[in-house]
Amino acid sequence: MSQTGLSRRKLLELGILSAVASPAAIRAGRAAAQTGGTGGVQPTAPTKGPAGELKNPVEFKGPRTKASAPTTISFWQYVGFHVDVQKFIAEEYKKRHDPNLTLEITAFPGLNEQRVGVKSALAAQSSTPDIIAVEPGAYAVDVYTSGSVIDFTKVFAEDPEYKRGFWPNALELLTINGAVVSVPAVTNTVIVYYNKGLFRQHGLEVPNTLDELKKIGATLNAKGIMPIAYPAGQDRNFPIFPYYTYLGGTRADKLMREADLGLKPWTGPELVAGAEFVEMLAKSGLYAKGPLGIKEPDAIQIFATGKSAMFWGGQWMRRSIRAALPPGFDLAIFPFPAVVPGGPKPVLSSVGITLTVNARSKHPDLAFEMIKALTGAWGKIEYTRNLGLSPNGPISGEAIAYQMQSLKDPLYPEFLKLQPTGTTRVIFTPAVEEAVTQGMQALIIGQKTPKAVMESVEAASQKVGPRKFRAG
Amino acid sequence: MISAATRRRLRRHAAGYAFTGPALLVLGAFLLYPIGYSLWLSLHEWDGYAPQWGPFVGLENYRALAADEVFWRAAWNSILFVVVRTPLEVSLGFLLALLLNRKLALRSLLRTFFFVPVVMSLIVVTIIFQRVFEPNAGLLNTFLRVVGLGDWTRPWLGDPATALPAVIAVSVWKNVGFSLVILLAGLQGLPPDVLEAARVDGANAWQLTMRVITPLMRPILALTALLSIIGGLKVFDLVFIMTRGGPTYSTEVLATMLYREAFELNHMGIASAVAVILVALVLTIARAQTLVLDDAPEAGRT
Repeated sequence: MSQTGLSRRKLLELGILSAVASPAAIRAGRAAAQTGGTGGVQPTAPTKGPAGELKNPVEFKGPRTKASAPTTISFWQYVGFHVDVQKFIAEEYKKRHDPNLTLEITAFPGLNEQRVGVKSALAAQSSTPDIIAVEPGAYAVDVYTSGSVIDFTKVFAEDPEYKRGFWPNALELLTINGAVVSVPAVTNTVIVYYNKGLFRQHGLEVPNTLDELKKIGATLNAKGIMPIAYPAGQDRNFPIFPYYTYLGGTRADKLMREADLGLKPWTGPELVAGAEFVEMLAKSGLYAKGPLGIKEPDAIQIFATGKSAMFWGGQWMRRSIRAALPPGFDLAIFPFPAVVPGGPKPVLSSVGITLTVNARSKHPDLAFEMIKALTGAWGKIEYTRNLGLSPNGPISGEAIAYQMQSLKDPLYPEFLKLQPTGTTRVIFTPAVEEAVTQGMQALIIGQKTPKAVMESVEAASQKVGPRKFRAG
Repeated sequence: MISAATRRRLRRHAAGYAFTGPALLVLGAFLLYPIGYSLWLSLHEWDGYAPQWGPFVGLENYRALAADEVFWRAAWNSILFVVVRTPLEVSLGFLLALLLNRKLALRSLLRTFFFVPVVMSLIVVTIIFQRVFEPNAGLLNTFLRVVGLGDWTRPWLGDPATALPAVIAVSVWKNVGFSLVILLAGLQGLPPDVLEAARVDGANAWQLTMRVITPLMRPILALTALLSIIGGLKVFDLVFIMTRGGPTYSTEVLATMLYREAFELNHMGIASAVAVILVALVLTIARAQTLVLDDAPEAGRT
């Protein structure tokens, strides 16, 4: 028995069970997503395990290019809690491969601040920062179509193995005009967290269909428990989750992409049906009251105190949720049920922070090497081992077992199973994203009809005119 | 060639120029130049990424704004914000100032108490009030349910009908202490002989307040109102953090619209046009206020 509280065998089992490196395992993951929820128990209190019982099983490969003299490359990002692991990998890179190269990280308080800073720097044709963190969607389109960043065509051509290390659906979100503009450090899924104890207490099973979810909602409401805490007031992305979910569940997400690019109308029946689904959910009594007035911390509190039985949110919130839970709370997750009979269970997936290189960087090759260190085979295991977010591509069962030594959260491997099944949740055209956000808000509060909402989105899309980019 | 008279005049004012020069330089570089830059940018198209601005479009950005219902919504909300917030903030501040100007037990403590929200971080304030307004377990709705007013519960920040009033209420709560401090300082600076004379003449508390103190305080009240109006017109952070202008633009104000146009939609020209309109509004109101004050009878002349 290891000092971590999990045996070496158990760790390997967890890793092997959730290995998603092979196509067979990916299929297994898809199957898991189709069949009910995945559970977990509250992890034991963190204990310092013997460092090195299991080691990162992947070799940290050296760069093709090294700095000839002491060089500092700058990196502007927007997620504070990623800084430590990024520093750790950069230090290891310096120690093992390139003693001349130092990474200087500037972590802005949030995406908005970073985007303003980056925009100003790029407009001023500054060579700083060398590495830029961008969000998939409109941000990536903006920096690429303005010629401000360098795509990964050359890097991938030189190192095809590096490209194979990413989930294809993750790279697809970052492909503009046929080129991969930036690469993800981590990936994320949106799922339903649930209070397993509360479910057990009321004899409820994980829902496989929308009707089952509605029945659960009715049972919980009758007992004075709110079914789902849904923080639609958190940001402009959350109100769109139900819409993305429906389109993923009816396999209409590709159609949405075409509409986003102005190639198909938003007023087509499949896309209007998505809006009708959003309206239906809002009226179904499944949500805790007033979702647009609820932010993430509020929703977590509602869920953690047992006032709601489910929480619809992202993998990135796993740690915040854990921190809020009382001892003994039995936390588990399940993918959103199939929205149409026989349809897939939609798991919204996206990438977390993604990295690209400033076109005016004085050291573009070194910047790419640093990005490869952070996101490559060795780096991704260290990166996600520290954060508990899903890696940017498949990793071996052995690697997961190594990660579980310190992560100790049985939900982590469950998230890994879901990632390859994910459907997109990105809109590329800013004005369209804005119209969809506002439209979904209007549907949630019953201010507009689904048809009227999609007409306003279509109007916004037409106002943009022909897109100057292709995506996906 | 500079004439001898000009040279003499320059020499006479040299010290003045030397003292005001640095301040004028800073003013020019950090205020006048950006205003001019924004004005010029508002006549162009620019996405904010390209090193060069886009084409000169004349007043097209202003025309686009005039045709944009969100702009009118934002303008209306900004005005509403000021019209509701300023009277509340100034009158509450004045009432509290009158109260705390009296010899009360715990007066110093109370003054500090009312000033605390002013020095509190805005982020902290918004987080607290998000919790207060949360629809399900929030303090306000819980209180309403406890006192039997469950029908009054609302998703305060999630309902377009209540989101703006809720944000205004937080703004008043946060800023009333600032008005209180300015007005209290004003009250303490009133000539005691005038107040004493009024009392000797038999004025009761109401008469003293309405007929003596309030007229004497008029310049300070006007200043407080002006600061509140300007603060209200350019409010951004509070709205942005609490609601981001939503739901469905119900709390969108000019400053949040400016941000959205500039940094989310990449319409730097339109954003600059909003900025120019905002500056024009603030300057107009400030000037109007100054004119009103200049025309007012001298304080204390009754």
